[in-house]
Amino acid sequence: MHNHRAKRLIGFILLGFVLFLIGNRVDDLRLYQGASVAMYVIGIASIVLLTGFSGQISLGNGAIMALGGFSATLAQSTWGLPLPLTFVVAVLGAALFGLILGVAAARLSGPYLAGATLALAVALPSLANQFSFLGGEQGLQFNSGSAPEFFNGEVSQYKWFFWISALAALLITWLISNILQSRYGRGWRAVRSNSTAAELVGIHSARSKVLAFTLASGIAGLAGAVLALNLGGVSPSAYPLSLSFALITGAVLAGISTLSGSVIGALLLVGMSELVGSLTSRFSLEDVLAENLKELLVSVLLILAVVFTPNGPGDRIRERKELHKKKK
Amino acid sequence: MDQLISAILIGLSQGAIYSLMALALVLVFRSTRVINFAQAGQAVVSTYIGWEVVTRTGNYWLALPIAAIAGAIVGAAVESFLMRPLSKRASKGAIAPVASVILTLGLLGVLHSGAAIIWKGDQKLLESPVSAMGITVGETVYPFSQTDFLIIGTALLVMLTFSFIFQKTNLGLALRASAFQPEIARLSGVRVDRIRAIGWAFAGAAGAIAGVLVTPGSALSPNSLDLLLVFGFVAAVIGGLESLIGAALGGILLGLTLSFVGLYVGTSLTFVVPFVILILVLLIKPSGLIGGRKSRNA
Amino acid sequence: MMRFTRSKIIGFATVAAAALAVSTLPAQAAVNETQGVTATQITLGISQPTNGPASYGYNKVAPAMDAYFKYVNANGGVNGRKIKLIIKNDGYKVTDAVNKTVELVSRDKVFALVGSLGTANNIAVSNSPAIDLAGQKIPSLFVNTGFSGFAKKSDFPTMFPLFPSYYMETKILGGYIKDNFAGKKVGIIYQDDDFGDDALAGLKQAGVTIAPGASISYASFSQSVATATTWVTKLKTAGAEVVIFYGVTSAAAFALRVAAGAAYKPQWIIDSVGGDATTLGLLGVTPAVLDGAITTSFLPAATDSADPYVKLFKTINTKYNVAGTVWDNNVLTGMNTAMMTVAALKAAGKNLTRSGVIKAIETQGKTFPSASLAQPQFSTTSHVGYNGFWIGTYDSTATLKPEGGKYKIYTTDSASGDVKVSTWKRPAMPAKGLPK
Repeated sequence: MHNHRAKRLIGFILLGFVLFLIGNRVDDLRLYQGASVAMYVIGIASIVLLTGFSGQISLGNGAIMALGGFSATLAQSTWGLPLPLTFVVAVLGAALFGLILGVAAARLSGPYLAGATLALAVALPSLANQFSFLGGEQGLQFNSGSAPEFFNGEVSQYKWFFWISALAALLITWLISNILQSRYGRGWRAVRSNSTAAELVGIHSARSKVLAFTLASGIAGLAGAVLALNLGGVSPSAYPLSLSFALITGAVLAGISTLSGSVIGALLLVGMSELVGSLTSRFSLEDVLAENLKELLVSVLLILAVVFTPNGPGDRIRERKELHKKKK
Repeated sequence: MDQLISAILIGLSQGAIYSLMALALVLVFRSTRVINFAQAGQAVVSTYIGWEVVTRTGNYWLALPIAAIAGAIVGAAVESFLMRPLSKRASKGAIAPVASVILTLGLLGVLHSGAAIIWKGDQKLLESPVSAMGITVGETVYPFSQTDFLIIGTALLVMLTFSFIFQKTNLGLALRASAFQPEIARLSGVRVDRIRAIGWAFAGAAGAIAGVLVTPGSALSPNSLDLLLVFGFVAAVIGGLESLIGAALGGILLGLTLSFVGLYVGTSLTFVVPFVILILVLLIKPSGLIGGRKSRNA
Repeated sequence: MMRFTRSKIIGFATVAAAALAVSTLPAQAAVNETQGVTATQITLGISQPTNGPASYGYNKVAPAMDAYFKYVNANGGVNGRKIKLIIKNDGYKVTDAVNKTVELVSRDKVFALVGSLGTANNIAVSNSPAIDLAGQKIPSLFVNTGFSGFAKKSDFPTMFPLFPSYYMETKILGGYIKDNFAGKKVGIIYQDDDFGDDALAGLKQAGVTIAPGASISYASFSQSVATATTWVTKLKTAGAEVVIFYGVTSAAAFALRVAAGAAYKPQWIIDSVGGDATTLGLLGVTPAVLDGAITTSFLPAATDSADPYVKLFKTINTKYNVAGTVWDNNVLTGMNTAMMTVAALKAAGKNLTRSGVIKAIETQGKTFPSASLAQPQFSTTSHVGYNGFWIGTYDSTATLKPEGGKYKIYTTDSASGDVKVSTWKRPAMPAKGLPK
C-alpha cells in the first residue's frame, strides 16, 4: 500500500518533469495543442470516473465544464482572485452543482439519466443569454495572465498555458488515481457490477453514486476552467453539445474504465484534428471537407471501438494475454 | 385572447413534430431498450433524400413517402448490421450499460459527416406544398397555416396507424412480444430478429416524416435535426419511454410549454425550458408520465 | 507519517530542479514583422461561416475576395508578390473562430487576417492571449462586421473595421424614421449580442423610442419559423407600424416570411447586413414580400449595372470566382474588401511588414480606391472606415432603389455627432480596377 502510493507519486512527478522538458523544446502550435490535450485529459477523466467506474451515463459533462469555466471567470472578475484560486472556485462550484444533480440522478436509471443530462447539455450554456452578467453569446473575458516576472519575460503565453494546463491535469489525475484505488473506487465498481450484492456488503449504493457525480463534476469543472484559460474567455459556443460527445468518445476509444485511457483518448482527439489540419494545409483541401472527414473518421473509430474493444484496447490485450497464459 | 389562441396553435403544431420524433425513439426503446441517438442522423439523411426528390420532381407529396421508405430502410439496416452484432459482444464489463448509447452516438457522427460530404454543409430549402399563410377567421389572421394542418394531420395519421398496427394486428402482437419477452416469443415461433428490424424500420420512417415536416419551417443542413432529437428525446422521457401515447403526450406538452414561454416570456429561454420540464416530471414521476406500468398495452 | 515526508522531499526536489531548468530557457520569439511574406507570396487568412445557420449569403464573401485576389495576381500581383488566401470555417461560433485563427497564425503562418466575420468572434480573437493579436502586431484588416468598438485604436490597435458601424446605421435610420414616419409606433427585432446592442444604442441616440412590448431580442442560432412566429405575434399585439430588423439574413428571412404569412405588413427596415435581396430570395422571401422594405448600403446597389465597379466586379466574378456563383451584394462586398486590402498592401511598399501595413492604412487610407460611396476615414487617431449609408426601398422586382433616385449619403459618427448629408464625390475607378 505504502509503496504503491509512493511509487505512483514518483511516477507522476517524473511525468511532470518530462512534460516540462518537452514544453521547452516544441513550438507554439504544439504547446497550444498540448494545453488542449491536458484539458481533454481532465474532461475525459471525469467520464471515466462517472461512467467507467460508477456506471452512470452523462451526456452533459460539457455543460458542467461550462459551469466551471464561468465560475472561474466570474470569480476573477468579481473578487479579483488569482489564477489558482479561480480554478479552485471552478472545481467547488461544479462539484456543488454535481452534488445537486447527483442526488436527482441517483433516482434515474440509464436512459432517463441520459435524457436529463442531454437536456442539460443544451440548456446550461444557453443560460448565458439570459443573464447579462454572463455575457451572452460573446461571453466573458478571462484574464489568463502571463508568466510572472520571475521568468523575466522569457516564457511565452503558449508555454505558460501549457505548464498550467499540464500541471492541473497531472494533479487531478494523480488525485483521481488515488481515489480510484481507494475504497470509494472499489465501492463504485461493486455497485456497478451488482448493486444488490454491494448493498449487502454495506456499500450505500445511492450515496456512492452521488459521491461519484459530485467528484466527476468537480473534475469537469476544472477542465472547463482550463479551457477558459486557453481561450482567454468563456462563451456558450465554447461548450457545445459536441464537447460532451467528444468527452465520451475520447473515454471509449481508449478504455472507459482506465484512467490512463483518458490520456490516450485526449491525444487521439487532438491528434485527429492535427492530422486533418496538416493534411488540409499540405493538400490544400477545403477546410469544411477536412472537418467532415475528421468527424467521419472519429465516428467510425468510435463504432469500431465499441463493437470490438468495448472496454478499451488495453482490456483486449489483457484478455489475449490471459488466454495465452491459460493455454500454457 | 388572440395571443392565447396563437400560443396554443403554435404549440400544437410544434408539439406534433416532437411527438413524431418521440414516437421514433420510443419505438426503438420498446423493442431493443436502446436510445437511438442516431435517429437525428437517420432522419436527416432521409430528409435529404426527400429534398432530392422535391428538387428533381417538384413534388412534395411524392417526397414524403419516399423519405419515409428511405428512413425505414436505413433503420432496418442499422439494426441488422450494427446494433445486433454489438449486443452480442459488449454484454460484459464497464461499458455494457452505455455501449448502445455510445454506438448510436458514433453512428450519428458518421451520418452527420457523411451527409455533409455528400450534400455539402450549406443550408438547403424545402418548400411546403401548401400555403404557409396564416388562416383568417373573421377579422383576425392566426399564425396557423395549411402547413400546420398538414403537420398535425400527418402526425396524427402516423400515430393512429402505429397504434392500430400495435393493437390490432399480428405484426403488432409480435412486436410487443419480442420487446417484452424475446425468449418466449422466439419459442412461440416469432422471428425475433426480423421483428426487431421491423420495429427499427417503423421508427426510421417516423423520424424521416418528422424531418420532412419540420424542414419547411427552417432549413436543411446536416445538423438541422439535432435539436429536434433533443426535444423529441425530452418529450419521450417525459412521456415515459414505454408507451406511444406517452410519446404523443410528451411531445404536445413540450410544444405547448415552449410556445407559451416563448410568447409570454421570451424566445431566449427556448433551450432551458426542455430541461426544466424534464427535471420537474422526473422528480415527480421518475419513470415518466405514463411509464412504469408492468403491462404494456400501447 | 513516513509517506508524507518522502513525498514532500520529492516534491521540493522537483520544484528546485524546475527552477534550475527555467533559468536556462531560451528567450521568447520577438514580433515577426514579415511572417507570411516571401519574395513571391503574401499569405492572408480569413475565418468565416462556411456552413451553419449564419452562413447564408456570408459564405460567398471569402470566395469573392479570393476571386479578386486571383484577378490581381493575374495582373502583376502586389509589388511583385502573389496573394494567397486561406479560408477557414468557424460556423459563426466564437470558440471555433478562435481555434481556426490560432491555426491561421501558428500553422499557416499568415501575414495578416482579412475580413474576419462576426462581432463576437472578432472580440474573442482579439482577447485571445494565445493569438496575441496586439502583441504580435497581427493586422486584422477590414473585419466583416459593423461593431463600432473596433474603430477604437487603443482597444484594438491592429484591427481595422471597414463597414460603417451599426451605431452609425441606426442613427441615420433613426433620423430617417423621425423625418418620414413621425408618430408611428416603432418596433425592433434584434440579435441578442453586441450586434444588437450597438443598434439599440444608435436608435436611442437618434431619439427614437420603441413602443412598449415591441422590443424583441432573439438568441443567435435560435431563428426558425416557430420563433419568428412569436416575434411577429408580439409585434402585432404591440401594434408596431414600423419594424426595424437587426440580425443576420437567415433570421430576417424568417421574420419577413412569417409576417407575410400572418398578413402583417409593417414598414420593414432591414439592416444592411441582413438585407440582401438575392440571399433573402434564396431563403424564400419573394419579391412581393420584400416590396416596400427599406434597407441601407454604402456600396452601389448590386443591381446598378451602370456603376463601373459593379461592371468590373461582375466580370471578375464570372471569370475568377467559383463556377456558377450568382452575383449579389455579398460578392460585391467581398470584392470591395479585397480591393481595399490590395490597396493597403501596395501602399505599404515592397518592404512589406505588419507595422508597415498598419501605418499605411492610418496615413493613406483616406485615399484608397474602393466602390464605396462614403469616404474611408482612416487616420492615425481612429480606425473608423466608411462612415455613411444611403437609404433605399425595394420595389416590386426586388431592386433596391435609392431614395430620391440618386445616391444620397448620410454620414455620422459612432457617438453623439449629427447626421449630415455628405458632399464627397467618389473618385474615378483606377485603371482596370487595380489600386496603384
